[in-house]
Amino acid sequence: MGWFKRNSRPLLFLAVLVLIWAAITALHVVTPIVLPTPLSVVRAIPGMLHERLLADIGLTLGRVLGALVIACLFGIPLGLYLGHRKGVYQVIESPLHALRSVPASALFPLFLIVIGVGEKSIVALAAYPSLLVILANSVSGATLANKRRLYQARLLGLDTFDTITEVLFYEALPNIFDGIRTAVSYALMLVIAVEMFIGLSERGLGRGIYEYQSTYRIPETYAAIIVAGVIGILLNAVVSQLERRMLRWLPYVQEE
Amino acid sequence: MSAPAPFAVNAVEAQRIAFSYPSRAENGSGPLYEDFSLTVELGSRFVLMGPSGSGKTTLGRMMAGIMSPQAGQVRWSPQFSNRWDVVYVDQHAMNSVFPWLTVAANIKYPMKKLGWERAKRQERMCYLMSLFRIGALADAYPTSLSGGELQRVALARCLSWKPQLVILDEPFSALDRKVKAEIIAALEELAATDGMTLLLITHNVSDALALATRCVVIGRRPVQIISDLEFRATFPREAVTPDYDRMQQALIAGIRDGLV
Repeated sequence: MGWFKRNSRPLLFLAVLVLIWAAITALHVVTPIVLPTPLSVVRAIPGMLHERLLADIGLTLGRVLGALVIACLFGIPLGLYLGHRKGVYQVIESPLHALRSVPASALFPLFLIVIGVGEKSIVALAAYPSLLVILANSVSGATLANKRRLYQARLLGLDTFDTITEVLFYEALPNIFDGIRTAVSYALMLVIAVEMFIGLSERGLGRGIYEYQSTYRIPETYAAIIVAGVIGILLNAVVSQLERRMLRWLPYVQEE
Repeated sequence: MSAPAPFAVNAVEAQRIAFSYPSRAENGSGPLYEDFSLTVELGSRFVLMGPSGSGKTTLGRMMAGIMSPQAGQVRWSPQFSNRWDVVYVDQHAMNSVFPWLTVAANIKYPMKKLGWERAKRQERMCYLMSLFRIGALADAYPTSLSGGELQRVALARCLSWKPQLVILDEPFSALDRKVKAEIIAALEELAATDGMTLLLITHNVSDALALATRCVVIGRRPVQIISDLEFRATFPREAVTPDYDRMQQALIAGIRDGLV
């Protein structure tokens, strides 16, 4: 019950949204082909579960998580190193910004040529912008690290590895989590988009949305889109939980 | 064999140093340091006094080897063979601790990095925690502490590995009198036990009198030594003795000289 009480306002807002939606369909403002009733969308879900909704969710989630793990594994250490060695960062800064300005979707064809159609290119395409945003946040986190505290690291003779893993990582952690949060939505967005347009053998939530839409199963299309949104909310909640745990030493986290 | 004279050698010497900040507005009034020399004797409780903005912190950071003078040189005693034998304790205690480590972990961290054995680390930590009365805070994070608690933790951490010269930059500025007296007593005991040289930077007369065996007042621009006083090494110092009164008058007279 405590959970409902704490989240009463967001839940109320959600209820209001659904009510508006129901009212629009009940008053026939738009045709059910464009906007089905909330009830029909809910009714569509059991059938979808019978088909392969769970498998689709699993596939999409697996790809998103794979992309995020790759992005963190490379983005965080590299970003911290570049923030630590500003000389190196200055050299590669402009190409990095150029890469960030190119939308990942513009690189679809290139990735398909280089990596080939398949699981790998889906994950790689989602990992690419996620990695860049985590990298950029790690760099700025490390650059903003407390200089006076770094004096202690130097004084105690910490090598680059220890300075990065035992000092800069923690200094940059709030920024790293900002990066991860952005990366989560990038990864989800791209995985679903790529699933929609990549070969038929690869399923996934994106493919599901595309197929429901192309066969005029509109309630199912809406349901699948909502499921994608819910996945986003859940992933964000997981990141928030992790952040609260890892940043429990920060004053604003303690006050909560 | 006779015991070595306590103040025979110098812990740190600033020799004819010059320093000015390149882009500060106050640069119109000339360089901060020019041909300035000062020596801090080994084993002394040296207090550096001066008004705000007089260049105390700059001098402290140069003597700690964090900044370099633009001319002249800073030399440490040859006894300080390691980089970490000289430590600068920042004005803001939070800069001297890792907020992501608990109090106990913070105190042990430097010793671990310098290769102390586990048992010795534990023993030293327990000693410091009881000396600074922070035993109850072992599992707390620094961000949850009060100013006085945090300052003790910062000192316990910076003194954990027994550095030989400790430069303390305004460590008591945010503390009330009682907490200050407790910390000064702990500091004095530790310095005597470990044979540390203390260099305290402050603008507070009573802080200076609580600790100083030598007190140098600096001021003007470029910085000059306005007065240079020696005090007898008796601790703890009570504020009600005639001796303390004499010291206080001498110091205040010394500071006044600089203002005229």
